[in-house]
Amino acid sequence: MTFQQFAFNNVMRNKSLYIAYFLSIAFAVMVFFIYGVFAFHPGLAAREIGDVAQIGLLVAQMLIYIFSFFFVLFSMSTFIKSRSREFGLMVMLGITNRQLRWLIFIENMVIGFGATVAGVTSGLVLVKLLLLTAESLIGMNGELSFYMPYRALGLTFAAFILLFLCISLFTVLFFRGLRPIDLIKGSSRPKPEPRASIWLSIISLILIGSGYSVSLTAEGLEVVYALPPVTAAVVVGTYLLFTQISVYTIRLLKHNRKLMWRRTNLLFFADLAYRMKDNANTFFLVTVLSTVAFSAIGALVGFKTILTESIERPFAFEYVSHVGNSPERTEIVIKAIERSLRAEKIKFTKMYAEFQSYKQAGDGKPVMILKESEYNALAAVEKGTTLQLGVSEAAVIQPKNVLAGREPPKEQQLIVDGHGKPMQIIQVADLSIPGYDKYYVMDDGSFAELPEPLSTDYYYVFKVDDLASTEAIGQQLYSEIGQSGNDRFFPLAFEIKKLLQSYNAVMFVGLFIGVIFFISSGSFLYLRLYMDISEDKAKYNSIMKLGLTKSELSKIVTRQMAVLFFLPIIIALIHGTVALIALQRMFYFTLFRESVIVLSAFAIIQVVYFIIIRSSYLRQLLLEKDE
Amino acid sequence: MELLRTTHLSKIYNGHASHRALSDITLSIEKGEFVGIMGPSGSGKTTLLQLIATIDKPTSGEVLIDGQNPYQLDTDALARFRRQHLGFIFQDYNLLNTLTILENIVLPLTLEGEKVSVMESKACTIAERLGITSILNKRPYEVSGGQAQRTAIARAIIHEPKLLLADEPTGNLDSKSSQDVMEKLATINQVDRTTVLLVTHDAIAASYCHRVLFIKDGELYNEIYYGNSRQAFFQKIIDVLSLLGGNTHDLSTIRF
Repeated sequence: MTFQQFAFNNVMRNKSLYIAYFLSIAFAVMVFFIYGVFAFHPGLAAREIGDVAQIGLLVAQMLIYIFSFFFVLFSMSTFIKSRSREFGLMVMLGITNRQLRWLIFIENMVIGFGATVAGVTSGLVLVKLLLLTAESLIGMNGELSFYMPYRALGLTFAAFILLFLCISLFTVLFFRGLRPIDLIKGSSRPKPEPRASIWLSIISLILIGSGYSVSLTAEGLEVVYALPPVTAAVVVGTYLLFTQISVYTIRLLKHNRKLMWRRTNLLFFADLAYRMKDNANTFFLVTVLSTVAFSAIGALVGFKTILTESIERPFAFEYVSHVGNSPERTEIVIKAIERSLRAEKIKFTKMYAEFQSYKQAGDGKPVMILKESEYNALAAVEKGTTLQLGVSEAAVIQPKNVLAGREPPKEQQLIVDGHGKPMQIIQVADLSIPGYDKYYVMDDGSFAELPEPLSTDYYYVFKVDDLASTEAIGQQLYSEIGQSGNDRFFPLAFEIKKLLQSYNAVMFVGLFIGVIFFISSGSFLYLRLYMDISEDKAKYNSIMKLGLTKSELSKIVTRQMAVLFFLPIIIALIHGTVALIALQRMFYFTLFRESVIVLSAFAIIQVVYFIIIRSSYLRQLLLEKDE
Repeated sequence: MELLRTTHLSKIYNGHASHRALSDITLSIEKGEFVGIMGPSGSGKTTLLQLIATIDKPTSGEVLIDGQNPYQLDTDALARFRRQHLGFIFQDYNLLNTLTILENIVLPLTLEGEKVSVMESKACTIAERLGITSILNKRPYEVSGGQAQRTAIARAIIHEPKLLLADEPTGNLDSKSSQDVMEKLATINQVDRTTVLLVTHDAIAASYCHRVLFIKDGELYNEIYYGNSRQAFFQKIIDVLSLLGGNTHDLSTIRF
């Protein structure tokens, strides 16, 4: 038996020992790979999801890689620590330090390679399944079809082989100069009581608090600039929260005997401090991952609402004829619309309005002006607010421009060049017309006094009761009419369909990434629990001999697991909420409803996850007892 | 008054090969007695203790503790029975490293929901008696084996159990600590009138008992009583052990 064979057999014949470690790594690989498959999807690259989205996808992939790195590193060091007795035995038998390091290196590379292959294979299967589900669920007609993801494959293999190489080398270096006595004592040496520093706890609170207050007060573009420092502060603060504040709080609680010495509390809290310290890294990772998931999904759902709301209009068809458009074309278009509607036996109300173009006195900016009676007629059909303008009053109509900010600058006066009479601006109403940033409405009397306009735009609208019935007509007319450059045809139902379709793909990928982040965080927790289960079994076994009832045991375990499962998620929910509030301050748009939906969906999933894992863990724990 | 009675107690372990660990053990222990159980490795003495401790179920036969059959209780009631009426001392102490010595001692009372002031005063008295007052705020891994075992004794008697069960309490201790632990057990037996059942390999430890039962191959073999001196009793125990056979290394070295 050569040394390499020994190392290889050591892994292969000890499968049960390695399985948890192997699975957790394979899982990390799978997450990375599946993500890559979507990020490099040709269907996505072809769409206009924009450079920003592309960069976002890339950044997310980097994040996943960094987290995989730490995850593998943590898993590996726990795994090696748990085996220090075995290594100690080998050292006693005379293995040289060099050979031991070589052994660990080979082992890790074998496991790493196996886990990469396993992760990629299961990833491929899962991607296929996911895409099938996506197609039937969201109705993306082959927009995201299955493809052979060579790029993602190559990237995953290269990235993870590199990762395992780095980490194995790192771990091997970490092993330098250990004496056999330390290795033998290793896992059996009792852990000292966890300690925490009051100063670091305070720093943590300051970091998180200042991060929160900045993100809650920043507005508009400030949010973008505040993002990097705030994120860094909150991330560091969160790390200290789990390593310091949690342990410190439990220490403080321990001094309260009334609380500590009540029934199972003694066992619960004593263990909790250790668990907090041991799992601080996992908690930290889980919290950051979940926060990213919450914010990303909340933002995506929010964008979808913003987009659909920004094109929400009262009219099924709108046609604007600008200067330079021939009256013949206008007539053809209007006739075509009427003909199609009649052919489909759809009742409609046709409306018409003229926008006159003037220059503003002073800065000479162009303004579009509409007669009050025409505006009111349009608004009445929409069942919107009609205007009651007095003499020398004007209303400015501005659509919600969600991306530029909801609050437009307040205007006081409108003076039309060549007219000279100052009009008081009194009301801001809301009936947006495609192609116009804003326009003004004047009472009919003042409108008549205006001089000859520079140009006139003709605006036709068709009001229909059942919007959905016009989708097909809209699509047909859209291709028939096209755009000439001097006019604009806007079939609402078809436009909404187009928008939602292009957004669905982005939405799907976004949701998917969020879910992946979320599931990985849950699995990290489960694997953590699984690694400790034999130790727990022995401990609870000895307490049960003293007379701990099953229900008390289940109570202790349930409370401990509840802390493990919900503490990071609750922190992440708070972080996520703050992030979404900051986001809505950036867009001046309320995401409250979307945030509540997204965050409560996650909370529910986590509860289900908790219930399932709790019962499986308890079953495992009580397995021997029931025989 | 009879505190413990077992009638025709048997235990068969089913596995690849069924193995009869105990057969037809009938014994009776009076209240306030200090009884030792000895026997070679594999003779079934620990099995017997586990059956009496209600940790393991007998295949047949009956255990009565103070007139009550604990095996008629459901698992939760059984756990409660254990922590109210029985006290345990183990060879490896079975203390929780996550708790301090004091917390380990009061653990049975906290599970019962006792008042904090009562727990404190009880723990204080018992720690005083066992000479572990100075280490109450330490952790089990910071104290010596003898101190750990005395802590375990404190935990076992804080709720004033009817029956104290000790499984090789001196097995991990040096001779000085062993003597210490056995003297404490004897004092508890004398002063509190607590019934003690001791399983041991150690002839010296056994010589603190009023009576020693010997089992061999899962059956009761012999029974001897304390006479006038410990020295003589010890000699009698050694004699029976050598009659019992088994391997000589099962007998502890003589430590006079």
